[in-house]
Order: sequence, then structure tokens, then C-alpha cells
Amino acid sequence: MRVLIGGVGYRNLRDHSLGPWLADRLSAQARDGIEVEDVSYHPIGLSQNLQERPVYDRVVLVGAVARGRQPGTIVAYRWRGELPAPAEVQARVAEAVTGVISLDNLLAVVGTFGGFPGDVRVVEVEPADEGWGEGFSPQLLSKVAEIEEAVWSSTLP
Amino acid sequence: MCFKNLPVEFDEQGKARLKQGVTDPYAYQVRELTPLDQDEQRLSQLLARNGHIRRADFDPVTRVAGALAFHTVVDLENRRVLETDSMATLFRGYEVILKGRDPRDAIFISSRACGVCGGVHATTSAMALEMAFGIRPPPMGVVARNLLLSIEYLYDHPLHLFLLAGPDFSEPAVRETNPEIWERAQHSPARGRGVHGFATVAEIMTAMTPLTGSLYAEALHMTRVAREAYVLIGGKYPHPQTIVPGGISATIDISDMNEMMLRIARFFDYGQKVVAIWNDLVELFYEVNPRFREVGRRPMNLVDPGQWDDPFAYDAMYANAPEWGERRWATAGVIVDGELVTTDLHALNMGVEEFVEHSFYEEWVGTGNGARFKTDPAGNPLSPYHPWNKDTIPKPTGTNWKERYSWSTAPRWDRLAMETGPYSRMWVTAVANKLPHRRFIDPTGHSLKLSVPKGALPAAEMEWEVPGDWGAFERNRARAHAILYTALIAYDNLLIGLDLMRKGETGVSVPFEVPKDFRIGVGFWGAGRGYLTHHLVMDKGVVENYQILTPSTWMASPKDPFGNPGPYEEAVAATPLLENFERPEDYKGIDILRTIRSFDPCMPCTTHVYTGTRVISRDVVTCACGAEDDD
Repeated sequence: MRVLIGGVGYRNLRDHSLGPWLADRLSAQARDGIEVEDVSYHPIGLSQNLQERPVYDRVVLVGAVARGRQPGTIVAYRWRGELPAPAEVQARVAEAVTGVISLDNLLAVVGTFGGFPGDVRVVEVEPADEGWGEGFSPQLLSKVAEIEEAVWSSTLP
Repeated sequence: MCFKNLPVEFDEQGKARLKQGVTDPYAYQVRELTPLDQDEQRLSQLLARNGHIRRADFDPVTRVAGALAFHTVVDLENRRVLETDSMATLFRGYEVILKGRDPRDAIFISSRACGVCGGVHATTSAMALEMAFGIRPPPMGVVARNLLLSIEYLYDHPLHLFLLAGPDFSEPAVRETNPEIWERAQHSPARGRGVHGFATVAEIMTAMTPLTGSLYAEALHMTRVAREAYVLIGGKYPHPQTIVPGGISATIDISDMNEMMLRIARFFDYGQKVVAIWNDLVELFYEVNPRFREVGRRPMNLVDPGQWDDPFAYDAMYANAPEWGERRWATAGVIVDGELVTTDLHALNMGVEEFVEHSFYEEWVGTGNGARFKTDPAGNPLSPYHPWNKDTIPKPTGTNWKERYSWSTAPRWDRLAMETGPYSRMWVTAVANKLPHRRFIDPTGHSLKLSVPKGALPAAEMEWEVPGDWGAFERNRARAHAILYTALIAYDNLLIGLDLMRKGETGVSVPFEVPKDFRIGVGFWGAGRGYLTHHLVMDKGVVENYQILTPSTWMASPKDPFGNPGPYEEAVAATPLLENFERPEDYKGIDILRTIRSFDPCMPCTTHVYTGTRVISRDVVTCACGAEDDD
């Protein structure tokens, strides 16, 4: 089984840097059949890259997403492939090509243009600190082991 | 004499000096604004009396990069715009972040000012640093820089033409807002069929449909081709890792050059196709209603610092900027009322001022810091409002159309609102007629002749004429030509680079040390959307002051202290409302949106509002003005 773990987020933006930080950290622990990559670069580019690679069996995306939950909340789920209305997708494409990095954008854009396998898992974490700089909030830092476990669990057959 | 409003004159030797006998030469009177919206009673009466007069706010303006809001009052019966206010809704703040840092950090931090064109900021920063450090990149380093920046635009131009502005000309948008044009398009043979393959203009519009249209998808694909070429020596995109003062840090071999050439050559055919597409679109609109020429019209006032240096002339010295500025592939210069007034980078630089009377910043001249530099390093007079004298002091307040309403400052050249873009660099280059490198691009004084090499399509002689009418449609047509112009500059530089390799001149950088004494520098360059400068002041090895002036700051500008609107405001105010609608509530504002998008607003340069505890990086609209209270 081939799995891609993709971290999504801005660098140097405290808790929003969880995705790329985890990608760096987990890539050292990549296992047979599991690749780890920072996929924050460009949803259109990711779609194009995925379409050129041999198809993965599963993609696992991880990042911080602010949805007003308790900071540090971890939610792991299987993405059902539901896409917003075309006008909304178009707005997300405009954001994607002009530099906005967001897990929701990535799902909408790659979901529209293709490249995802049938099995996409998401591990998202509610951020507490959304300021400039490196390092995480205590709420998120205390959950790192749990987040990593959620990511590895999402790769299991 | 290039200045009409600034107190600057030139002596017999052409040296600039302040006019004699003026006690406070840069002083000015602030003219009070009288917006309709501030006179609630008058506006309420107008709205109550006339159902056709209404507020039309675009907040945010979608399909532009970043956060821009636009406020208008429109008269739908007389089909005109009564009032306009352009509002940059987010604070950039890189100037504040960079203070006290190692100047080398500026290359990587300022790159983050934009998620589309970070490389232009990195490069402009490197140029400001090398001027301050007193180092000169070797020819191959300049070639590499020219290649990177032209390739970056080959990403940018298709993005604008088909993903951001293009959808306003697609079948769904045209059917909804101008059905008479859609009707005509279906029966209008496309003149460029032999190049682009579409039989009718309607087929082009269908192919421009977002998400599903073939031209939309092709543009996405071509942005990838450009990115692939870029990362060969840039390392990554949009924030390159190889830009350094004095050149680039990557070695370049023949294989890199060949890989780049393969990709750049694809834009020869694509550029021809895009020009043919936009020619067909623009001409059809004009044929159906000549008043489309007036959409987005504003005075022909344009500024461009030029870019793409002559590898054998550029020495990074401010004293010699007038010489190397005129040897660029895009000639530095200023156009006022359609006439070229200067190609001298010193004159261009000394004419720049930034005003903040209607922006969320504190005025700095009154704080006693304003006149630190009374002259530039060459002895030319500088305004207290010049970027080298500027201090960024954020002062968020509530929005008030009469007082302060934008995070953009109001940059002016000779106290005039200026427009900039790929077309300003083409326009100045065409009329200045000073380009030394004419292998593929030949300015004529009124046009640019473009000799396009053979690809899958035959070789072609294309020509961009300086337009007689200047508005939204011509901006887009010029942008289409900019793909070819840019690809030819990249190709010319590739050939120069290969020649340097044959001669063994492969050095791409020079060693340097960060000086510990007081220095100043400026990077004169451009972004996909036009003018870009970084003004640096450093001492004791750290940044004392850093000022970034972007194209969208020029164009999204609010009104200036003299009461004159910024370019977006000016262009929207002049736009006739040609949209076809039956009831006022059906009005979509397509002419206003076509106007704003024709400038290709790139507001990420003003993105990222820092509220003290959190950074807002998207989805912020007007209420961001009060974001400091929103913790």
C-alpha cells in the first residue's frame, strides 16, 4: 500500500505551522510504502504533481484549521470528496494561485482538478496561537504525540 | 523639465536643485474631501428620490490576489459612477518587521510579501543590498536574475488573463451581463482562427469558462511550465532560495540552460495564441459598442523603474543608475498625459512621494523624522515624503471616506497618481526607443515589434502599438502581448548566457561582507504588475529603515492630500455602466469589476494584519480596520 502523508500550513505562523513542521519531522520516520512531504506549496501544483505520479492508495493530510473548537482539539476523518459550488471552487482557485495556504482550499482545488486517490484522510488540529514566529502554543505542544499517532493511525490499512 | 508640481528645477548641466526662494518647498495644503456618503442627509435624499441611485460595494473584490474592497455610488439610470473609494483592507507591516534585522534577512522576509511573485521582492531586496554593500554581480549573475524574473512573469501573465480577469469575458459572465454581445459573438468569425483554432468569438468565450474551459485549463498548465523553468535555478517557487546580493547562489550548467530553453520556447506559440484570443475578444466588444473603449479609462500617466539589466552595464551604483536604467530591456521612465517625460532613474526616484492623509498611518514628517535625507546620494533633492525619509507608523482607526479608509498609502510622482503594469514597461520601452538589445524586440517610438521564433507555429512578426484609447480592454490586450515580450527577453538572455558559458564566464556571484558603517541603497525593479522599489537604510550591520513600494500600492491608492483619486478610483469613476440589466436589483457591476481586475490588483503585498496576538491571513474584509480590537 502506497501512502502519502502531506503537511499543510504556513511556516513561521505558530500553530498554523503544524503541517510543514510535522512533514519535516515525520519524513525522518517514513516507512516502507509511506512517503512524507510538505504539500503547502500550491494546490494546483499538487494536483498536477499527483496526476503525474503513480497513484497512491491513500493520501493523509495534516494541518491546523481554525473552526472555533477547543484549542488543541484533534479531529481525524475520511474526506468524503464533497466539493463546494463551482463559483466557490473558482474563488478557492484564485486564492490558491495567489498564495493562500489552507487545508480546505487544498481539498477543494485538488478534489476538483484531480490527483487524489479514492481514499483521502484528514487530521486537523484546532490552533490556539495564530501569531508570527516559530514554536507552538502549550495547548498544541502538549498534543504533538497524540497528533503524530493520529497521523500514523490514518495510514493503517 | 520633467517636474511640473514639485519644487525642483534643473541647471544648465542638467543637475537637479530646489527652486530658489521657496521657503518650505515641499509644503502643501490638504484639501478636504466631500464624499457623498459623508453627507448622510444628501445621500439619503438622493437614494430616496431616485431608485436608480444606489450604493454598490464590492467587499471583497473577488478574483484578485488578496484583500481589496471597493465602494461605489452608482446612477443606474444615467449609467455612471458617482463616487468611488478603493480600500486596501489589510496591513502589510514588513517595514516594521525588518527594522533591526540583518539586511540579508530582507531578501527572504520581503519575499513573503507576496504569494504570487515573491521572487521579485527577493531580487529587488538583493539589489538594494548590493547597492548599499558596494558590490557588482558578474554578467552571468545578471543573466540568471533576468531569466528568473522573466520566467516569473510567464507564470503571472496567463494567471491574470485566464484565471483572474479572464472569467469576466467568459460565456457565463457575458451571457448574464451583456447578452447582446454573446448573441453577436456566436455569429462573429474569429479573425485569429489560424493561430488559436476557435471558429467564432463565442467559442473563445466558452473556452474561457472557469474550471471547465479549455483556455482556463491550458493557462493552469502553462503556469506549471513556467514554474518548472523557474525552479531549475531558483530552487523553489514562489520564494526562491538562491537570490543573494551580488548575483545568485546556484551554479548553472548547460543542462539547466537547455531545460529552461525548452520551457521558454513553449511560450512563443502560446504567446501568439493569447494575443490572437485577446485581439478577437477586444475587437468584438468595441464593434458591438464603441463605449467599451471608455471602460477603465484614466489619464495616460504611467511610471516604471524598468528591469532586466544589461549584464555588461549594470554596476549597482546609484551614481550610474541613469545610465544602466536606460540600458535595461524595459527602459526606466515616466509618462505623463501620454508623453514620455524622463528615462532618468534619478529623476524617477526623486519624484516619488507617499502620502497618508487618507490611510491608516501616522504622518511622519511632523514627528521630526521627515527630512533625514534632504538629497539622494547623487545630490538630487528629496522630499520629506520620499521613501528614504518615510517611517511606517500604523494607526488603525474606523473607516471614514472623508478621513481615513485604506491601508494603502497614496504614492505620487510629481504629485500625480500613476499607473504601472507590464504595459508601463512596454510603453516606456516603445516610446523611449533606447533599447540596446534588439535581437528580438524592436521599439519604434510608437510600438514594440516582436520577432517571435518558430515553434509549432511559424515564426512571426508581432507588434504591440501604444494604444490611442487607454482603458481596461487595452490593459488586457497589452498583457497578452507581454507574454511574448517577456518570453523574448528570456530567450535573449538565454543566448547571452550560453555565449558567456562558451567564454568560460560562468561566475554567478561575488563575495561580500555586510558593512558595519552607515549605508543606503535602493532596488529599482518590477513585479508582474509593474513598479517595485525597496529603499534601504542600514547602520551597524542592521536595517534601520526599509520601505517597500509595490505596484498595487500605487494603484489601489486612496485619495491624496490634494483631493485627487488613486488610479482604481479614477478609472472606475470614468467607467460607463454598459451592463445589460432590466431592474436595478439585477445589476452585477461587471464594468466596474472589469475595470478593477484589468489592473491585476495584487493585495497580498498588503496582506497579513497583525492584531497583537494573531495574524489574519485570509478572509478578512472591511472590518479588519478595527481588527486590533478583535482578539
